Amino acid sequence: MTLQVAPPAVGTEQDRRTGTQLQSRWLVVAEQECRDLWTSGRGLILVFLFSVLLSGVTYLTSTNQALNFLEQRESVNLVLQFAVAVGVLATLVVSADGISGERERGTLETLLVTPVSRRSIIGGKLIAALSLWIATFLVSIPYVWVLARGVGILGRALALGFFVGTLVAVGLGSIGLLISAACNSNKTSITASIFLLLILFAPTQLPSGLPQGWFFDVLLRANPVASGLAYISSILVEGHSWPQDLALLITPLLTALIAGGALMFAGPRLVRLTRGVNAG
Amino acid sequence: MIGLLVGVLTWLPAPAVAAEPLSVKVIVEPVHLETVLGGRFMITTEITNTGAAPSGEILAHLNVASIEGSVYVDPEDWSPNRSQQLSLEPGERQKLSWEIQAVNAGHFAAYVVVVPFGSNVAGNEALMISPLVDVDVASRSTLTAGGALPVVVMVPLLLGLAAAGVFFGARRRGSDR
Repeated sequence: MTLQVAPPAVGTEQDRRTGTQLQSRWLVVAEQECRDLWTSGRGLILVFLFSVLLSGVTYLTSTNQALNFLEQRESVNLVLQFAVAVGVLATLVVSADGISGERERGTLETLLVTPVSRRSIIGGKLIAALSLWIATFLVSIPYVWVLARGVGILGRALALGFFVGTLVAVGLGSIGLLISAACNSNKTSITASIFLLLILFAPTQLPSGLPQGWFFDVLLRANPVASGLAYISSILVEGHSWPQDLALLITPLLTALIAGGALMFAGPRLVRLTRGVNAG
Repeated sequence: MIGLLVGVLTWLPAPAVAAEPLSVKVIVEPVHLETVLGGRFMITTEITNTGAAPSGEILAHLNVASIEGSVYVDPEDWSPNRSQQLSLEPGERQKLSWEIQAVNAGHFAAYVVVVPFGSNVAGNEALMISPLVDVDVASRSTLTAGGALPVVVMVPLLLGLAAAGVFFGARRRGSDR
């Protein structure tokens, strides 16, 4: 990333403006990161692949007799959960490239000498990663519309998907950036992040016919992805009210708060040049 | 002689006692409902102990049967929780709810049977059965390929074109520099 930030102004005006400038510099970083992601075509290619996957799932839901047996609300739930899961995966992959990618490409040194705090760099990169989640969510709207029209749950499904997905994306995006800041190699960072995501998705793939005792319940509630998806199901399929299963959102909320907090406090110390890494 | 008589009488097995029928009444509502394939609905049963003694442990069990044609019914698919255990004092009544999903199209009957529960069940006790709930499930294809096709094709197509345009544009700009 080539960051263009104006040098700080000199004089008494500078003192008054420094705070505001430092606050707004994360926006400059975010804007630059988003431009890098979207004008290079990288973001659009990911969103295109996402739409191909979502098309496959939607078509299968609409045509397959065995799946068509599902009630329409369950079809909406299936596609929405898929959209949230893959959207969060894309966010995690982009954030996992955030710092380790800069190190590997030798651009981190340039970035660190710009008059931008390390916290602003991290904040900007997190926002850029979250822009991918927003894009995948926008792409999923027509698919959800196709399945949810006529059932009267379109608004609820979209609001629910956006709310839960954003919560999970903030948490996992922060974890991805922490992993990226701690890793020297981009490969290690991305592999570790994807492995983490697979661990988190594993409980959601257990057959529903298995006996689900207290251990399964603990596993579900301790997992931010599984509990977020379970919350979506409880409202869309089982028709529960929003506050009824709110406890399922405790883990996604705690993950977002703890990982986001750790990123803001420990991140500046982790974003540094490391020995043996090409500095350009 | 008396001792011998007492000995013989105590040695003889006790005559078989007919098990007392369960003194419970089961009512169910609704008695008829119509839904579509995949539809979820709930039936409620009210079980009342009409006897003078406590019912002891009893088990209410839901069952579903096809009453027209030859549709195979697996009740477990219709409702994952089909048994509820309870005990009632004389005159006490309890409402039980049963969540059901229609997984076959056709004409069905759902009913709840009450059986005694526990290790001291002799096996010859009478059962109490609720009236039938008449369930009509219409076959309906909720989604069609034709309805989804425009979105399924157009969204990736437009995004693919946009991604290709941006990607090759960026490469061209890179090679021009």
